[in-house]
Amino acid sequence: MALFSNTATLLGKELRTEFRSRELLTTTSVFILIVLVLFSFATNPGTEEARQFAPGLLWLAILFASSLMFQSCFLREQANDTLSSLRLAVSDPFAIFLAKLIANTLFLLLTEALMLPFFAIFYNITLWAELPILSLVLFLGSVGIAVAGTAISAISAQARMRELLLPLLLLPLLTPVLVVSATVTGSLLDRDPVVQWKGIAFLGVFDLVFLTALWIFGQYFLEE
Amino acid sequence: MTKRILLGVVATALLIIAAYANFYVAPNERTMGVIQRIFYFHAATAWAGEMVFFVCFLANLLYVWKREQKYDWLGVTCAEVGLACITIVLITGPIWAKPVWGIYWTWDARLTSTFVLWLLYVSYLLLRTLIEEPSRRALLSALFGIFAFLDVPLVFFSIRWWRTQHPAPVIMGGQGSGLDPTMQKVFFFNVLVMHVFCVFLIVERYILEKLRNDVDLLQREAEAQ
Amino acid sequence: MKNLDSVFAAYVIGWGIFFVFFLSIVRRTSALRSEVDRLKNSISRSK
Repeated sequence: MALFSNTATLLGKELRTEFRSRELLTTTSVFILIVLVLFSFATNPGTEEARQFAPGLLWLAILFASSLMFQSCFLREQANDTLSSLRLAVSDPFAIFLAKLIANTLFLLLTEALMLPFFAIFYNITLWAELPILSLVLFLGSVGIAVAGTAISAISAQARMRELLLPLLLLPLLTPVLVVSATVTGSLLDRDPVVQWKGIAFLGVFDLVFLTALWIFGQYFLEE
Repeated sequence: MTKRILLGVVATALLIIAAYANFYVAPNERTMGVIQRIFYFHAATAWAGEMVFFVCFLANLLYVWKREQKYDWLGVTCAEVGLACITIVLITGPIWAKPVWGIYWTWDARLTSTFVLWLLYVSYLLLRTLIEEPSRRALLSALFGIFAFLDVPLVFFSIRWWRTQHPAPVIMGGQGSGLDPTMQKVFFFNVLVMHVFCVFLIVERYILEKLRNDVDLLQREAEAQ
Repeated sequence: MKNLDSVFAAYVIGWGIFFVFFLSIVRRTSALRSEVDRLKNSISRSK
């Protein structure tokens, strides 16, 4: 189908652009690391209370990092004025969003994968046992963040004060993701791990709602 | 013009009558006493505010679909009026809560989602100030408004199912079931009054937006000459 | 009645916010109306 082939081509472009320089991945990873370190200064890591806060802090760090990461998403196109050529190149403008969305999810997951070992060490948490489910939670959470982030990035790129505007618009929208992901991750990494399937399903619903909204309204974000 | 003045007078009169009912018609609540009388104003304003935001959501959808200016005007109007309502809710709530619960605030589902709702529509209005071109501003803020409104039930349920640890406040939860019949009547009267008052504010604010558009058009005509 | 002042505060603040909001609308509306008149005059003069 034209949508999938267009998306695949655009996705290839996104990935190639990023992996050529890797600047987004490196800066975002370092940022999450800095945030985790700062949290340790603000709290008291290694104690039992810190273990309880740790999952929330992890997701908070991911959220902050993503609000920086998505800045360049559509700004990159604006700077080089490539958006109009992209629009001409595809039959369905949703392909542009889908490609950026998949790329953003991948970048987020990569940075999370890089950060997890540090998180485990700093907060004295073993991840191995629950890694499959944890990966699922990270995946669903990251998809949700990426969907909302890509949409908001398209909006903020067309406004002034975009560096401040993007987090301002994005972070309140992502409250459900933060709450549920942090809680589910917390119970997963507890001394007696429990898998909250309801929470995982909720994350799936969040992703579905916003993905559908983006599919319906995506074309209007990119109008001339 | 006279119709608008009439609406304003009626709305204000109803507001005063509602206040009278809240203080003199409604019976005293057994456990909380007089502080409970805030509830009629507070909860009715919350209902009206949420209804106004729903109208904003509809206006946003209609704008994206039809691209007619009037839907943009209605959208920003409802966002401002709704925000005024929710600001009142967020202030009167803690005033009620402190004597009753001993704390000003708690992070349960209703309070948190109300606060996030407030933040989202403040962002909506802020976004509008940061886009110059009128049709672009209308479109992008409508799109954000749609996403924001879709988010609110998700926020509510995420907190309800994963954060509310203590029982929901008895008064603000499905009160209809446990409320004295007179109290019920007073409450629903307040709901009606707040809706009428919001309609009045929406009319006035909408006219302001239309006037702004008239000024823009006239300015352009003046410059063209 | 011990909490009466809290109740009054709530109503005063609530009504106050509505009143201030309405006042700001009235102020802006009258400013725009005079602007409309001014522009109409200048257009008809230059015609």
